Amino acid sequence: MQKFVVVALNSLLAAGLYATMSYGLAVIYGVMRIINLAHAGLMMLAAYATYTLNDRFGLDPFVSLVVVAPAFFLFGLALYATFIRWLPRSSAGPSLQSLLLLFGLWLVLQNLAYAIWGGDTQSILTPYTMQSVEVLGGRFGVPQILVFMVSILSLLALNLVLRRTYLGKAIRAVTQNRDAAMLSGVNAGQIAAVAFGIGTAFAAIGGSMLSALYAFTPDFGRSFLLKSFCIIVLGGMESFTGVALGALVLAFIENFASAYTAIPGSFQDAISFTLLVVVLVAAPGGLPGVWRMLDRRVVAR
Amino acid sequence: MRALLRRHPALPAGLLFAAGLLLAPLLAERGTLNDLWNMAFYVVLASAWNLLGGFAGQVSLGYSAFVGIGAYTTVLLANAGWSPWLTLPVGAALAVAFSVMVGLPTFRLRGPYFTIATIGVGEAVRVIASGLEFTGGSSGLRMPPGTFDFSANYYAMVGLALATLALVAWLHQHAFGLALEAIRQDIDAAEALGVHSTWAKLQAHALSAALVAVGGGLFATNFQYISPGSVFDFRLSLTIVLMPIVGGMGTLVGPVLGAMLFSYLQIKLLASPALRDSYLFIYGGLLIVVMLFEPRGIVGLWERLVGLRPWRRTPAVAEATRAG
Amino acid sequence: MPADQTPILGVRSVSKRFGGLLALDAVSFEVQRGEIFSVIGPNGAGKTTLFSCLVGSVTPSSGSIRFRGEELSGLRNDQIVTRGLVRTHQIVRPFRDMSVADNVRVGVLYGRMRLRGPKARERVDEVLSRTQLTQRAQAKAGVLSIGELKRLEIARALATGPEVLCLDEVMGGLNPAEIQQAMALVRALRDGGLTILMIEHHVHAVAGLSDRLVVLNFGKKIAEGRPAEALRDPAVVAAYLGDETGARA
Repeated sequence: MQKFVVVALNSLLAAGLYATMSYGLAVIYGVMRIINLAHAGLMMLAAYATYTLNDRFGLDPFVSLVVVAPAFFLFGLALYATFIRWLPRSSAGPSLQSLLLLFGLWLVLQNLAYAIWGGDTQSILTPYTMQSVEVLGGRFGVPQILVFMVSILSLLALNLVLRRTYLGKAIRAVTQNRDAAMLSGVNAGQIAAVAFGIGTAFAAIGGSMLSALYAFTPDFGRSFLLKSFCIIVLGGMESFTGVALGALVLAFIENFASAYTAIPGSFQDAISFTLLVVVLVAAPGGLPGVWRMLDRRVVAR
Repeated sequence: MRALLRRHPALPAGLLFAAGLLLAPLLAERGTLNDLWNMAFYVVLASAWNLLGGFAGQVSLGYSAFVGIGAYTTVLLANAGWSPWLTLPVGAALAVAFSVMVGLPTFRLRGPYFTIATIGVGEAVRVIASGLEFTGGSSGLRMPPGTFDFSANYYAMVGLALATLALVAWLHQHAFGLALEAIRQDIDAAEALGVHSTWAKLQAHALSAALVAVGGGLFATNFQYISPGSVFDFRLSLTIVLMPIVGGMGTLVGPVLGAMLFSYLQIKLLASPALRDSYLFIYGGLLIVVMLFEPRGIVGLWERLVGLRPWRRTPAVAEATRAG
Repeated sequence: MPADQTPILGVRSVSKRFGGLLALDAVSFEVQRGEIFSVIGPNGAGKTTLFSCLVGSVTPSSGSIRFRGEELSGLRNDQIVTRGLVRTHQIVRPFRDMSVADNVRVGVLYGRMRLRGPKARERVDEVLSRTQLTQRAQAKAGVLSIGELKRLEIARALATGPEVLCLDEVMGGLNPAEIQQAMALVRALRDGGLTILMIEHHVHAVAGLSDRLVVLNFGKKIAEGRPAEALRDPAVVAAYLGDETGARA
């Protein structure tokens, strides 16, 4: 029983980070119907930026967020203005063109990292990296807990913006129905730029947090990108609460699989790949779609 | 004769291309022949991929799996005593089986979602191949001694490339090619006219997988050593996709142009360490530039220059189909 | 009932639910071979959904669709087309980058008759001439006018060699001369042996062409019968309340 609680708590901690990572993708997809494959590259770049701030200036990774997040928001705006703005909008979902363009961007970002920092594995060490706290008989690393707190804070902040500010309402409007939003006076182009900025900022927060937890190379974004896809597909692509739910589900499955079965760590990535493909094929509407389907069986006729 | 030319306008160029490749051993030295062999390999990969990716519009980022299946089948069976040439059909058959296994669930997905799923599949295959015992793990395998014959290897690869081009050209003109085009342009409308889209996709996938696998087997025979890093690599999947895209997806000539470009790039990259480290810049930059300015690649650019296609898209067409 | 009176198409209690929305509610009717049968009703009544159910691009939530005695629900779109039931789309869906001839060729190669070679080429020419598109055979579908696109939509469906042709608002957006041409074409197709289902808003066309019709509103059938009677039914008039039925054409 105690093991169950410990694993569950670990899952919760991981879920916070996963949700933060995935929100970036979800916001961009919701507003622009684009799947941002460069998300992985942005996470990776933020990790390296955090590392450099720590290495050169001794900045604690959590403190440097204050610098990294806004900087990447601006970077996102710049990316939008330079590349994304020119993509033709397709109403039928993400276009191949956008997919491949962002994929190309990811490759370029990877090369940038290789060029600036080299291909060696990097990691960030702080006084508290090795410390842990004992709760309910299980040990939880201090960095994990801090990451979780940052994740929750940033998600709450995002939620506040989405619900209370004009900007947030505009974003939600464009997500639900772009044409109707434009008819109501929303400047969809500006909203798209801001959304891309927010998406990039959240990718940066995610990447920065990851740098505090794991060692990384320029290539490391890929498995987290696939996890993020898995989460937003599980969460139904357009629902923000769905993303949080998807993050919880994935984190739980991963942690329980490694705690209770003999699946080795390297095959863990295979779990998210498989889950992604399974969900895409069996339940394209994600969890909300499954709910709707069940709902119909209960309510129909 | 004129009818033949009208239906296959690329025929003269193709014959010239074939003649060049077939006659080269009489005129060129070994270094150049190596490069031509490489280009022929790329032609096979790019043209075969184009069947599913360009004609049918289903972009798969996991094709290195088929190269690997072909290569490993050849090496493993050759080490068990088989003649390398006899291993090729076996590799092709295994690749077809795998393509069906992957295709059945994933072809239910539309366009970009299918592409994302293939990224996952490719990764999973690489991870598994690196972890298995009998594939030699991550250190790779060698071909048995006495199996290397460059002359035979050269003609085999060139033959495969020409056969692939001929097959793809023939399909393009006939019913199957039309079905794939229809699927690419509007899959629902195609089904509304009687096209069994999933079956067509599975066939295209299987055919291209078989061709790519045979290429992989020939690759193993020529290089004599393979490893998961060389044949199951994501970078290879990327190259396979970039060639037809940069050259011109969905055309006959595009993949060949792309193959020529990329085999040239590879020579340059291998020669200069500085460039080798920048291959991601180059590949990524190419993708960005092509997608932003000319999604139809070199062929598209040519069509615009020659006046076959307007420089700016006319909005009139979009309006016409929204009325009523 | 004499054998040739068996309906070619029997729709029994077909319902379709999309999430919380009931688009079709237990709709039933029969279509006789060689009839011109119209499906009319206000916007949003479920007419196009009905057609989608008939050809299999959407699976009914419940009910049965029998075509020439065979149960259709559950079959794929392409399977139903090869059995002889095909539809046109209300918003035309041409293969823009293909020539008009190739558009039609898709139907010829993959429809019910699955022709190949010279026979296929002949059939393409035949269909093009019946829909007056021979002049435009080599033009890319993307540059056609709306009238031509509508004819192309019909041509492609016709190319599949169907027994039952479902036309979804083929007269939408046409000028009066084109409407007359379209009506003549529909009659010619029926006289050539086809059974025709039509979704149409042009009441004049409906009244002039149909042998019988069915009226849908909010997914339910509210009237059925000959045009003269059905169009005078008070329930039908009420359904169209607010729209001046006479002024539409």
